[in-house]
Amino acid sequence: MYLVADINVEICAAKNCKLCTQYCPEANTILYSDELGKDKGFKYGSAYVAVDRCKGCAQCVWVCDNMAKNHAIKMVMIDQLPQAALTENITYGEKSTTAVLTSPVVG
Amino acid sequence: MSLDYVKFSNGFEKFMPKEYRDMVEHGPFGKKVTVSQMGSFKEVLEEHPMCAGCAMTLFIRLAMIAFPNPEDTITVGTAGCGRLAISQAAIPFVYGNYGDQNGVASGLSRGLRLRFGDKPKDVVVMAGDGGTADIGLQQVLHSWFRKERFTTIMLDNEVYGNTGGQESGMTNRGAVLKMAPLGKKFEKMNMVELAKVAGCAYVATVVPNNPRRVESVIKKAVLVAREIGPSYIQAYTSCNIEYAIPTDKVMEDAKAVENDRYQFQEYITDEAKQYLTERYGYKEFLAKSAAPAASIPGKG
Repeated sequence: MYLVADINVEICAAKNCKLCTQYCPEANTILYSDELGKDKGFKYGSAYVAVDRCKGCAQCVWVCDNMAKNHAIKMVMIDQLPQAALTENITYGEKSTTAVLTSPVVG
Repeated sequence: MSLDYVKFSNGFEKFMPKEYRDMVEHGPFGKKVTVSQMGSFKEVLEEHPMCAGCAMTLFIRLAMIAFPNPEDTITVGTAGCGRLAISQAAIPFVYGNYGDQNGVASGLSRGLRLRFGDKPKDVVVMAGDGGTADIGLQQVLHSWFRKERFTTIMLDNEVYGNTGGQESGMTNRGAVLKMAPLGKKFEKMNMVELAKVAGCAYVATVVPNNPRRVESVIKKAVLVAREIGPSYIQAYTSCNIEYAIPTDKVMEDAKAVENDRYQFQEYITDEAKQYLTERYGYKEFLAKSAAPAASIPGKG
C-alpha cells in the first residue's frame, strides 16, 4: 500500500484558502468543489484529492501546515480511505468540479 | 495549431478518453484562466513520469497556466527532466537535439510569422540548465544577439539530474554531487547578466514558491517576445533526488534558496514597458515611467 493526501473537508471548507491546489506539482490532482462542505452547512466549498493521480509527495501537507497554518491535510494509506475521488468520477463545471466518492481500492 | 486542432471530428467524441473530453470541454483554450482558478478547470498538462514532489513539475504546471494563448503556443525543449512533463501537455512540443533548442525555436518563430502574419503564435523554449547554459549556450546567446522574438525559460535545478548528478555551469561553487565528489571549483554562471548584455527585452528570475509571481512573469515574457524582442526567465526548480531534499521540504528549500541566491529580479526595457502598458493595459509600469516619460519630447 502507499500514502496519498487526504483533506479534512470540515477544516478546508471553513478556511477556503485554495493554496494546496496552487502548490501541488501534479496537474488536476487537488481539485476544488463548491458543493463539498456546503452539505455540512459551511459557507465555502472544499478542496479534495483525485487519489489515482496523487504521487504522495506531501508538499500539500507542508503548505497547509506551514503557509496556510490550517493543518487540514494528512497523508493516509490508500486502503485506509473508505471513500475517495477518482479521475473517472470527476465532473468539471463552469467554476467548480464535483466528484462522486467511491472506494479507491478494488476488491 | 489553433483552438480547432484539439476538437473532436464528428462522431469520434465517444471514443476519446475522459481526460481528453474534459480538456476540450473544460480546458483553458480560448478562455482566460488564472492561478487562483486552479483546481476548477481541466489543465493542459496531463499525467507524466517526473518524480514525486518535483519543483520543476510545479513550475511547468504554472507556466502552462500562465501562457496568454495556450492554443496558439508551441513549446520547444531539449534533453533534460523537463521534457518528460512538457511533452505530456495539449500544446505542441518540439524536441530538439541536445542544445539546439534556441536554433530550432528561431526558425520556428520566423516561419510562424511568415505563415500567420500579425496573428500571435507564441514560441516558448523550456530547457534545463545544461541545455541552456552549457551545451546550448552558443545557440542561446546567438538567438538573443539576433533579437529572435521568442521566450527562453531555464529550468535551473543546478545539476545534470537525468544522468546521475554531474555539475553544470549553473551549479553553485563548492557543491558536492555524486559525479562531482570534490565539489565544484567555479562560480555559478551569471546568465541573467548575459541575457541583459545580449539584448533581451525582458529578464526575470523566479522561484516556484510564489505561483502568482510565476504566472505574472511568464505572461509578461511571452507578450514582450511577440513584438519587442527576446525574453528570458530563469527559474530555480530544485532536484530533490540529486540534492536529497525530502519531498515535503521542497518549498522550504525553495524559500531558503530564494533568500540565498534567487531573489526576485525583473529587468525590462523602456520599449517593452511602453508596449505592455499601451497594448495590454499593464498599470504597474505607469508610476515608475511617469516621470521620465514626461521629459521625452512628444510624450505626455
